[in-house]
Amino acid sequence: MSAMKELAVDLVEAARSAGADDAVAEVMDSTISQVRYSNKVIDATNWWTEKNAYMFVAVGKRTIATDFRDLTEAESLVPRLVDMAKRSPENETYLGIAKGKFKYPKSRLDRKIVYLRDPARHVHDAISGAESEGAIDVGGTLYVRHYKTALASSGGPVAEDETASMDLSVRAFSQPEASGHAVSCVPRLASLKAKETGKRAGELATLAKNPVQGEEGKFDLVMEPLFLGGLVLSTSGMMSALMVDIGMSMYAKKIGKKVASDAVTFVDDPRMESTSMRAFDHEGVPTRRNVVIKDGVLKTYLHSTSTAKKYKTKTTGSCGPLLPMAGLAGDPTTFHPVVVPGDWSRDEVICDTKRGLYVNNTWYTRYQNYGTGEFSSIPRDAILKIENGEIVGAVKSVRLSDNMLNVWKSIDALSKETQEVYWWDEASPPSTLPMVRAKAMNMTRSS
Amino acid sequence: MVDEDIAEYVLDVAQSKESPLLAEVRIERTATNKVAVKAGDVAPVMSSTDAGMYVRIVLPSGIGFASTNKLSKPEGVELARRAARQARSGARKVPVRMSPETAVKTSWDVKQKRGLADVGLDEKIEQLRAVDRAVVKTKVKVQGRYYEFSDTDTTAYFANSEGSRISSSIPRVDSFAMLTVSSKGETEQSLRQWGAAGGWEKVDEWSLEKALADEVVMLKNIIDKGKRVKPGKYDLVCGPEVAGIAAHESCGHPMEGDRILGREMSQAGKSFVHPDMIGQRIGSSYATVIDDPTVPGSYGYYAYDHEGVRARPRYLYKEGIINEFLHNRETAGTLGIRSNGSSRSTKYLREPIVRMANTYVAPGDFEEDEIFGSIKEGVMMKSFTEWNIDDKRFNQKYVSREAYFIKDGEIAGPARKCALEITTPGFWGAIDATSKRVGYEAAGCGKGDPMQGAPVFTGGPMLRLREVALK
Repeated sequence: MSAMKELAVDLVEAARSAGADDAVAEVMDSTISQVRYSNKVIDATNWWTEKNAYMFVAVGKRTIATDFRDLTEAESLVPRLVDMAKRSPENETYLGIAKGKFKYPKSRLDRKIVYLRDPARHVHDAISGAESEGAIDVGGTLYVRHYKTALASSGGPVAEDETASMDLSVRAFSQPEASGHAVSCVPRLASLKAKETGKRAGELATLAKNPVQGEEGKFDLVMEPLFLGGLVLSTSGMMSALMVDIGMSMYAKKIGKKVASDAVTFVDDPRMESTSMRAFDHEGVPTRRNVVIKDGVLKTYLHSTSTAKKYKTKTTGSCGPLLPMAGLAGDPTTFHPVVVPGDWSRDEVICDTKRGLYVNNTWYTRYQNYGTGEFSSIPRDAILKIENGEIVGAVKSVRLSDNMLNVWKSIDALSKETQEVYWWDEASPPSTLPMVRAKAMNMTRSS
Repeated sequence: MVDEDIAEYVLDVAQSKESPLLAEVRIERTATNKVAVKAGDVAPVMSSTDAGMYVRIVLPSGIGFASTNKLSKPEGVELARRAARQARSGARKVPVRMSPETAVKTSWDVKQKRGLADVGLDEKIEQLRAVDRAVVKTKVKVQGRYYEFSDTDTTAYFANSEGSRISSSIPRVDSFAMLTVSSKGETEQSLRQWGAAGGWEKVDEWSLEKALADEVVMLKNIIDKGKRVKPGKYDLVCGPEVAGIAAHESCGHPMEGDRILGREMSQAGKSFVHPDMIGQRIGSSYATVIDDPTVPGSYGYYAYDHEGVRARPRYLYKEGIINEFLHNRETAGTLGIRSNGSSRSTKYLREPIVRMANTYVAPGDFEEDEIFGSIKEGVMMKSFTEWNIDDKRFNQKYVSREAYFIKDGEIAGPARKCALEITTPGFWGAIDATSKRVGYEAAGCGKGDPMQGAPVFTGGPMLRLREVALK
């Protein structure tokens, strides 16, 4: 047993000895390095290392969670935590943690990422790739991530996982108002395509040259995976049973109903090889491939043990962090959203579009009402005008102002190629997506 | 208490590496508590203490930043070694320049009238439950009810190679609510936030029970009686909440020095503002926007920034003219000027970057009834829901949460989902009156990579905009 796993087990035992009925300890050791670059030079190189333990304890329905940051004293602080739980008010929403012993897949770690010494080299490749396609300015980030996690639960689960990944983001400008964005997110060093990613960003930036003010009206939107990833962020968050519970989901009372077009199947797949693959959720339940939307019909919400009990179903292995940096504790979460690809080639989608916009990326997706789905989002980077199956120029300064359920219901073409995308906190969590076309989306602009 | 010995030892090591332009060490300890109530029921309670440090080394070739939550001298030495190596690897062709600043030895803190440590869990929960009871008592159907309190108490010690030594202590409280009101088969939502620097006395000042009970009644009224605005040009009165978000989004952000110089180009974006635009007109003479970290008790309060520069008010737009950018030492150094104390990091694990603090539109001399009085046909947008702005900070949209029609100088019934989609000069150029009283809202401002959600105030008086297009 590794030292981390031993510590997790010891913390749980200490909690039980102090009178806790339930306890979960998640010990984490992370090392992240980041190269930030803009104006074609490296601005800063950042490096973070953290070792900590999230601990959740319940005495009856009295619960509390903490983050032990100094692991040398963690075990000695557990009795105090249990005592705090005893003095806490009852948490009526708490309905238990997962029980049982589980088997987990072995971690698929690429040690070449862990031991990478010169990440800046890939940044220079990305910059030169973008320049070779006509970029005059390039910026972005390269992350190298290494996570080790050990979890123990009084319910039985004891698990351990180790992952490493890299994600490169390249934004290239060919003119002050003409840019393109591309990413490469990989769990294996050999798969990182720094030069090609830079070239793609540069190519899009060149296509986006001389943009004219976009028009208001209905357009078919051909969305690159990165753009779709920006919509997946809020969409996947609303699949949580907890979000449904507090009125913050457009999927409330829609199990078994159409929430997307027949062409859409939406899956959360933490088991596929990706930058966010993981073996177990935050209460130790093995992750699994959850089909959330099948052929446009909502099949399930995402559940932890606690929300599943409320909904009289089983956990989907989707329990989120018990002590999140932001958001709600234990909020069921998607770990790696996937939109199942279709059978269109990318060129076919464009050729088949009469009046549309090809959109590269988006940001600032904000809702009027999560319950109904009215929102707007601002396309950024290349926005290319499609007329009668051909790209005929670039536009700027338009906004997608529509309804998110309508977006998913309007998807009529999905590419057969998919790409893993992750960018900042906008195209997040990492997801594997095709290019899609949504028909007759409402575009607006400043008056 | 933070261990100053570790900081001094690590700084000695850091500045012994290759004679850096600047070496900084910051040690920080933060206690956090969070409680939540969901539809009257207690949701999970959280309590934690975090501590750690960072080392930042600036060489002509680049900037290296390394941080850890392991607080010890050996860990600090490792951080210094890494930060120096990273700074070397920057390989900048144009050497990094940091603005010259005076070394400071001081300490500052924010006092608590009622200490956070003196407020028990039971009391916090009971306060949230009382808010929920007040909401339920309105008889409005509120199908989604979620409320939370969180508080943080951060003590820090900052030391740099130029001789600055700053100890600080800042407690903050905040509250957040998500409400979904339904009526006649339709719904409206409200996400509200309160925040302040100080002790629990701030929570009492917010009168949450009344504020949120009023909020759900208002939302029901909007559903039941609100009418859509017929698209067209109207005079628009923006309440302090709308004035504040506009100040933040289309003045504060585009005036950040790092954006203007391109450092945020692949994340939060660039700016329509260029370094040579100081002195150019962006709005009417009523458009004065100030960013001021020194507003007492404000959510974005600080006395010295994360580079040890004393905080002061910054007049970003002054009487409609682009006046002053927000700067840290790097952006100021690049432009050959002094920092105005805008460097912030949300925790020791994140690099300090250029940030806003409390951004608000300056008050004018109009009475509030004067603002309405001369409007024949218009709309008052008191608060907003959906909003966004492009990455140059030029095209923005605000959709009303609470709005009313104005007819012949009088409020004339609720307007629903009124949308203002406008350019930045369009917004600031249309103002022809500002009222006397400034109101503030607390918010979390997102920027940086990894994302750093910084506590800020947004605010302003009532603004009157003439002849703007509403949808």
